Amino acid sequence: MNLLTRFLSWLKWMVKGQRLESEMETEVRFHIESRAADLVRKGLSQKEAMRQARIEFGGIESHKDAVRASVGVRWWGELGSDMRHGWRLLRKNPGFTAVAILTLALGVGANTAIFSIVNAVLLRSLPYRDPDRLVRIYFNEPGVGLRDVPFSKPEMDDLQTPAGVFEDVTPIYEGSENLTGAKQPERLEAVNGSFTYFSMLGVTPQIGRLFGPQDFVPGFASTAVISDALWHRAYGADPNVIGRTLLLDTDPFTIIGVLPCGFRHPGPTTSGDAEVFGAGGFSGDPFPPPMRSTRILVSGIGRLKPGLTLAQAQARLTAMAAQLRHDFPTDYPPQAQWTIEIQPLQETLVGNVRPMLLVLLGAVILIVFIVSLNIANLLLARASGRQQEMAVRLALGASHGRMVRQMLTESMLLSLIGGAAGIATAVGTLGFILRFVPSNVPRLNEVRIDWVVLAFALLISILTGLVFGLAPALHSAKVALGAAIREGGRGSGFSTTTGRLRDVLIVSELAFAVVLMAGAGLLLRTLRDLLQENPGFHPTQVVTANTWLGVPNDPKTDPYLSIPGMANFDREVLRRMKAIPGVEVAAITSSLPTTNSNPDAVGGLRIEGFAIEDRPVESSQDLRAERIRISPHYFKVLQATLLRGRSFTEGDEDGKQPVAIIDESTARKYWPTRDPLGRQVRFGKDPATPWTTVVGIIKDIKNDGLDIDGVPHIYVSVYQDPNKQVSVVLRTSLPATLLEPQIRHEIQSIDPGLPVFNVVSMNDILDRSLASRRFSADLVGGFAGLAVLLASIGIYGLLAYMVSQRSREIGIRMALGAGRDGVLKLFLQKGIVLAGLGIVAGMVVSASTASLMGSLLYGVRPHDPAVFVIVPVLLFAVAVLASYLPARRATKVDPMIALREA
Amino acid sequence: MGKQVDLLQGTLDMLILKAVSLGPLHGYGVLLRIQQISGEQLEIQQGSLYPALYRLEHQGWISSEWGESDNNRKAKFYSLTAAGWRQLHSETEKWNRMASLIASILRTTSEQI
Repeated sequence: MNLLTRFLSWLKWMVKGQRLESEMETEVRFHIESRAADLVRKGLSQKEAMRQARIEFGGIESHKDAVRASVGVRWWGELGSDMRHGWRLLRKNPGFTAVAILTLALGVGANTAIFSIVNAVLLRSLPYRDPDRLVRIYFNEPGVGLRDVPFSKPEMDDLQTPAGVFEDVTPIYEGSENLTGAKQPERLEAVNGSFTYFSMLGVTPQIGRLFGPQDFVPGFASTAVISDALWHRAYGADPNVIGRTLLLDTDPFTIIGVLPCGFRHPGPTTSGDAEVFGAGGFSGDPFPPPMRSTRILVSGIGRLKPGLTLAQAQARLTAMAAQLRHDFPTDYPPQAQWTIEIQPLQETLVGNVRPMLLVLLGAVILIVFIVSLNIANLLLARASGRQQEMAVRLALGASHGRMVRQMLTESMLLSLIGGAAGIATAVGTLGFILRFVPSNVPRLNEVRIDWVVLAFALLISILTGLVFGLAPALHSAKVALGAAIREGGRGSGFSTTTGRLRDVLIVSELAFAVVLMAGAGLLLRTLRDLLQENPGFHPTQVVTANTWLGVPNDPKTDPYLSIPGMANFDREVLRRMKAIPGVEVAAITSSLPTTNSNPDAVGGLRIEGFAIEDRPVESSQDLRAERIRISPHYFKVLQATLLRGRSFTEGDEDGKQPVAIIDESTARKYWPTRDPLGRQVRFGKDPATPWTTVVGIIKDIKNDGLDIDGVPHIYVSVYQDPNKQVSVVLRTSLPATLLEPQIRHEIQSIDPGLPVFNVVSMNDILDRSLASRRFSADLVGGFAGLAVLLASIGIYGLLAYMVSQRSREIGIRMALGAGRDGVLKLFLQKGIVLAGLGIVAGMVVSASTASLMGSLLYGVRPHDPAVFVIVPVLLFAVAVLASYLPARRATKVDPMIALREA
Repeated sequence: MGKQVDLLQGTLDMLILKAVSLGPLHGYGVLLRIQQISGEQLEIQQGSLYPALYRLEHQGWISSEWGESDNNRKAKFYSLTAAGWRQLHSETEKWNRMASLIASILRTTSEQI
């Protein structure tokens, strides 16, 4: 209350200062004239009365100043004069100012840019209605080590109402669909949910309408909603698009609405954003009848009831899962420990990029620290030069607090100018920077510089200003009057207090540099290891292309329904691919290495259960492997190594004995003591499925990512077990761009309705899979380089300054017989001691924080000995060099000149 | 005019509040009233009145308004606010307690210890 009154009064002064000043003037004049009038009445002359009244009143200006102080506006006026003084100083030292502002702009700019990404991706709520209540629903079987297993329609229905925690739930079916009927067949990312999908997210359409109860059917609704991007691309943003028919996987859909431009499906897609949205009931044709054990749904999201915390909801779901396990023991084998888990939707979308973004943010914050320590050093050097000015001011009666304030104002001015330049840099380069951010970082389209980012940039600027301003400011306040005037007057000598402060700054700068270098070292070593990692095949001179055969809802319209139908298509594709000049070998796979395009692996690794002959059925719960369908020459194209047995042949086709090739991981995991060749496996749980015989063992191929080891894979013949996702791999010396039109032409000669997409070389695929690691390693590496540069400039600057300040002392020493070696040693020693201290401090900090980066590392331990040896040695060498240069200059001091000049 | 007494440190604010509590006054009027009720015995540095007045207004204990003085000139009149009344009351109480305490200490004789 009282504070508010005072603030309002202060504000009144700030706003109406001019008028209040003149009122004060009037008031004082009234006082003096009234007093004079009284004095005249007592018999004084008019002139004498005025004089007397003024004397009695006292110093008008000092009283007015006291008034200003009493309402707290005096410092405002002083701030103005401090700013002007600071501004003049900055202009007087253009070199210093340019260096300071440039490095600050770099530091603050990098912070602003990285923070704008962190803010958009990690901090800002998802752009849906009440996003805090949206959760992703997982079904787990911890007993057999499985997460995110498929679920059935009845299980979804259990969540809808009986669970009592959700306002609404919807299954999400993400997948590819072929858009035909337009100029060029196109493969689209599609999302099918229940008709409540959009209302749950709280979306309103751009035009038309979104799904409602009228769209409910047990199977798939014949209506579709399209994205803004597709509307523009395929329909030229025609407002009459509503009611038009869209062919998806040859099924007709009526467009009922267009989504707003900013809408994104909150879930994983195999590539790019979802562009068509359908509604389904998931319980009627083409879906199998809803049975508890028919687990056809792969992911689901829900909206919690208002007022329910995540923990409360989770507790009720855990209890419900236990009840279901009890009620349906055959559907939920006890050893699987089937359970339901919810996670905030935001977490599931951005959780995997959080460590990388936080490491980047940490790196840029370290950089801005180093920048500000460097500037602190420059300012301190300047402050020593200004000791005399300070001493004189103190002698003339300036208070210590007032001096600190003035120095801080100067630094703040500098940091705010640098900050503004940094923000401008970030605004100007953000678009450019975003091009380098790997596309697996979600929500990049939401990155922009908003008020939160600006506030952060301002905070960083102020903090840096404080860091580099406080040291010289406090130092200047400690100036010992007499000594400073004398020392300053003589212009020689080296103040020990300043010296110690500068030592501390240099040591911390070096320590920060070590931390950055260690982080960069770990990331770069990880990247290098991954680049050198043997993926199990030779990726050079391999070109890949993809098509999707489509899954029409009406099986009668599906030309690729039967196994022979698909196998014939695959054979025809291979025949035509081999005929392309320059293609040596061609093959087909259902899953390209490191792309996660395996439809069985939507949203990550999804591995299938299988049974092994001669093993009890119960244990089959634990048997899981990723099934990949390949054509006979697949391993030949990839030049993978067949260890034992045989490859597939053209004869491994439908109707013959089903065959499989397993990789070493599978062999090691499931046949640790026996020879797997000739053994039999069966996919799925249906006992009617024929057994498949293992005919070969292949060396591991890193199919799920270069940084993922030990996933068991079972390869089967594409002619016996074909797939709708057809990826072509070609061994050729021709580039992908040259082959793309021919590949498209050949595939569309078979079926003009098929899209051909992502025609790229295998090397590009591997490169893309490492994009985010490369991005963070390059960025942190660049920052580390910058840190080393800044730290060596810092140490060089300090010693150079010391040499110039102590040239007289050096002169005397040399005149008294000190050798050049002794002088060299004197300064070199200083540099070495500082570097040693900084490096040791940095190593301690790095060692204790390195494990925070654990999730970003692969094949390298957080305390990798190589990194922790190379980093200090490298930095030490740089520091010694940076100290040697000024130290050598000290030996060049001519005693005669040095003494005469002093 | 008898011998004047210097104002005790920190009591000016309280005197101003008291003066203004008797009716709205302009700055010079505050001075006159304090001198009048003190029997012309208090010496007040006239200029120091204004920082005190502005500080009290800043704290919300008095409020000001422009009006006309007895000699028909424009002058700023101060009056006590509700918060000012409370402040004056508590200051008075504190002062009285302090004064009687000090007085009783000073009255102490050696026999009483």
